[in-house]
Amino acid sequence: VDTLSSSSSSRPGTAIAQHPLEHSWTFWFDTPSAKSKQIAWGSSMRPIYTFSTVEEFWSIYNNMHRPSKLGQGYDYYCFKNKIEPKWEDPVCANGGKWTMTFTKTKLDTCWLYTLLAMIGEQFEHGDDICGAVVNVRKQDKIALWTKNAANERAQLSIGKQWKEFNDYKDNIGFIFHEDAMNLDRNAKNKYTV
Amino acid sequence: NSEVDNEGTTKKYSRDFLLKFSEQCTDLPEGFEVSPDVAEALVGSSGGHGHGHGPH
Repeated sequence: VDTLSSSSSSRPGTAIAQHPLEHSWTFWFDTPSAKSKQIAWGSSMRPIYTFSTVEEFWSIYNNMHRPSKLGQGYDYYCFKNKIEPKWEDPVCANGGKWTMTFTKTKLDTCWLYTLLAMIGEQFEHGDDICGAVVNVRKQDKIALWTKNAANERAQLSIGKQWKEFNDYKDNIGFIFHEDAMNLDRNAKNKYTV
Repeated sequence: NSEVDNEGTTKKYSRDFLLKFSEQCTDLPEGFEVSPDVAEALVGSSGGHGHGHGPH
């Protein structure tokens, strides 16, 4: 019985329903070698891929190195599409960031859990989130960037939920981008959870 | 009409739900071209080819 040829013209694998995300997101990448050649901070960042479905997310994520496998000085960013991961971006300008520090063992899992919480819209104040950054360093860091730093209630909610998602027990601090710009390393945490 | 259910609501997905799709999406997105700028970020692209034991 020739059932195959009598079926519709769609081929297997081409008609899988995809799961749309609330937002489109862009992965960015920065390398120590690219950074060293640039004068303006941020000008060496390169977009890798913009995804808008669950399936597209995994297709790119599964082919990217885990952060712990990158060398020191590398960064990944995952930001809502159209938002550049820079202080100067109009959406980020009045924002700030929560930061977690890690040892290598937990870095990869927490980076993934952070991404899944963002793209799956698990934050009550998800509208306030711009994106996340992982910095591979001696002391690895993941930061969550938000839009309205002055909205304390939203920032505290985001910080608390982020710790829950990652089962993170230490205190984390929130720094306003404006303070970071003016005071650099002397910028103090405005909020702590 | 299956689209009605989601209209006006946020598309929320739990971590467990999202993780279910990981294993069925292992190929690079269709049409994705690895530019030299970002090759280092991608598994199997960084050193060019010729190592002989990397992923296909």
